[in-house]
Amino acid sequence: MKLGKIAMGFSEPDMTPMIDIVFQLLTFFMIAINFENTKADERVKLPKDVLAKPPAVKPEHELVLNFGYQRDESGVRVNSIPEVFYNERYIEVRQISPDLDQERRVMERIHGTEVIKDVTVLIRADSEVPTGLVQELIKKCQEAGFSKFSLRAMAEEL
Amino acid sequence: MKLRNRTTGPSKVEIPMAPLIDIVFLLLIFFMLNLKIVSPEGNFNINMPIGAPTAAAAEQNLPDIKVSLRSDREGRLTEMTLGSKNLGNDDAAFERLNQEILTIIGRPGNPLTKEVEVEIDADYETQYKYVVKAISKCTGRFDPGSKQIARYVEKIKFSPPHKPKA
Repeated sequence: MKLGKIAMGFSEPDMTPMIDIVFQLLTFFMIAINFENTKADERVKLPKDVLAKPPAVKPEHELVLNFGYQRDESGVRVNSIPEVFYNERYIEVRQISPDLDQERRVMERIHGTEVIKDVTVLIRADSEVPTGLVQELIKKCQEAGFSKFSLRAMAEEL
Repeated sequence: MKLRNRTTGPSKVEIPMAPLIDIVFLLLIFFMLNLKIVSPEGNFNINMPIGAPTAAAAEQNLPDIKVSLRSDREGRLTEMTLGSKNLGNDDAAFERLNQEILTIIGRPGNPLTKEVEVEIDADYETQYKYVVKAISKCTGRFDPGSKQIARYVEKIKFSPPHKPKA
């Protein structure tokens, strides 16, 4: 039996099945990835609810406010007063007004002065914060001119 | 100009696979690293017009639904009431709230549900999760069988905030 040809030739592996699989994986990850939640702050433990379904129509302008406790790695509260996580800073509710005013000015400069009526403030508050402080935060936002509010909750599967 | 190669007839064109695979792998790794498995989030809209108290609801003689949440100093729920009716403070209380709201609106999708407004009156210390749960129970019901949501009341507002317990 002659094995000359096989031993000499440079054999190329068949790439087709591998590329098929790789494309499948690529498609899976592309679909599974969720860029929507890039603003979500993992430090906030949102309340869970079955009725919390992503909205069909996304508001055109939104301002996300993350409101929760500073926690260490094991989840124990470092600070007993909840704070707003805003641009890598921690701000107590009673001191948030200057930042809200600045937020408003930036939005008005970009989208015009009427935009403030269309801005939805998304409040992502920790499930354990006192409601009074959430209401105070809403009040501060109203004082800054914001009028639409939404409370965020995490979807819960039954 | 001689087109010597063409004269030999159509030959198989080799697509260079290596660069394609390089790019595809890069994309694959990018998406894999960026993948965060988090449950999706949803919104509850609340109705908080600036300044003017809602006169509209009062004019139309609609039943005024007020859900009160009382709590202890640590924020745990001690009592939930609908109007003057005490519902309790456990999980069953929220189910009762859900039932009561259904009784008030009659049936889901009733045109009334667009007009009626529920007012949430919570103590300062009440943990936020109870408020969200109460709002959820007023806005609808999830039917696990059909996976459908029956919508109840659409408008939710907050009472003016209470002072913290001294």
